[in-house]
Amino acid sequence: MRWISLATTIAFAVALGAPAAHAQQTANLSVSVKNHRFQPAELHAPANVPIVITIKNLDSTQMEFESTTLRVEKVIGGNGQAAVRIRPLAPGRYEFYDDFNQQADGVLVVR
Amino acid sequence: MIGRWKSGAAISAALLVAVCSGTASGHEAEQAGGRGGVFRDVETENIFGFTEGASIGVEGEKEVSLTTEARLGKSAGRYFGSESKLGFEYTPNQFVQIEFGPFFSAHNISGVPDIDDRRQLGIGGFFGEIKTILLERSGNSPLALALSAEPNWRRLDETSGERVNNVELELKLQGDVELVAKRLFFGFNLLYEPEATHDPERVGGGWVQESKAGISGALSYQIMPGVLVGAEAWYLRHYDGAWLNEFTGDAVYVGPTIFVHLARQVHLSASWNTQVTGRDMEDPDAKLNLAEFSRHRAKVKLAVEF
Repeated sequence: MRWISLATTIAFAVALGAPAAHAQQTANLSVSVKNHRFQPAELHAPANVPIVITIKNLDSTQMEFESTTLRVEKVIGGNGQAAVRIRPLAPGRYEFYDDFNQQADGVLVVR
Repeated sequence: MIGRWKSGAAISAALLVAVCSGTASGHEAEQAGGRGGVFRDVETENIFGFTEGASIGVEGEKEVSLTTEARLGKSAGRYFGSESKLGFEYTPNQFVQIEFGPFFSAHNISGVPDIDDRRQLGIGGFFGEIKTILLERSGNSPLALALSAEPNWRRLDETSGERVNNVELELKLQGDVELVAKRLFFGFNLLYEPEATHDPERVGGGWVQESKAGISGALSYQIMPGVLVGAEAWYLRHYDGAWLNEFTGDAVYVGPTIFVHLARQVHLSASWNTQVTGRDMEDPDAKLNLAEFSRHRAKVKLAVEF
């Protein structure tokens, strides 16, 4: 019975602790889009940790945050915001753009 | 016969030129391709013809495609066989892509040695594919690698069109290297494809097993945003037995490839391969292997993402 209690305690500790540890290791980034331009146009993140990019669309028209190398796309309504989760990345430059308005370009630099 | 192949090649060349010239008309084409005149990172999966690049779709992307692979020409007579896959593709995360669907078979055969004359169109079977990223391109590595497994079940024989019960597993290691950023790409595949076939009446000697192995290399160059042209070469070996047991012959194919973004979420790719040399172990004097491989093969894929 004691073993079951111990196992349950450990399971709860792991279950509660894992997200906290995960959250500490996640790089949270933010970028805005205004007048069909990314601000800032260059983001930085450490290598080998999960990344969350929050995109705020300050224009009144829809945009689509897209990147072939990051392998994400997200349609964001006018004056809306959304987040994309990205796997841990190796060092390098990963370009992104607004697929609805090809003038908007940005880059995520991972070091 | 030669005249017919020349006509076929001329029609194919004309189609490729039409596609190229249609897209080469400048600004309108760039807008149609949704590239805005900008060279973007390239999804390499479909740019090398029969050779498949290592990239997968973006997370959450769905795609419907029609892919026709045709084989043309044997040692004598008239031979045409094709399989057209109606595929639904889904990328559930940033590491894996899956695809499945039915395929349709077409055969037009007359006067080919060892193959019955046949004109037919029918449901050929079903296929599935799972592809996973092994190594992604990054600042540290220009090389990308992926592994794909494609099980197929056929009710019509791929070569003869006869009613059969056939299972096949196509395993591919897919790799590509970005030689010049966003412009020039080198792709390669390693292929292992075991299969087993049984006649449906079960009057034969049981499952007949065979296998194929191959290696390919391809170059693809982005001549304008969303338009890539190139060439590929394949070396294929055929064996009796599922484990590459007994070598029966080989073939070398070469040919051009093209990939075009027709619209923001629509792309077309095409390739034409011609057998330039081959060996048939049962016919040592033959310069080509037209018993196990066709003289030409072609692939056309039209895909719509949503």
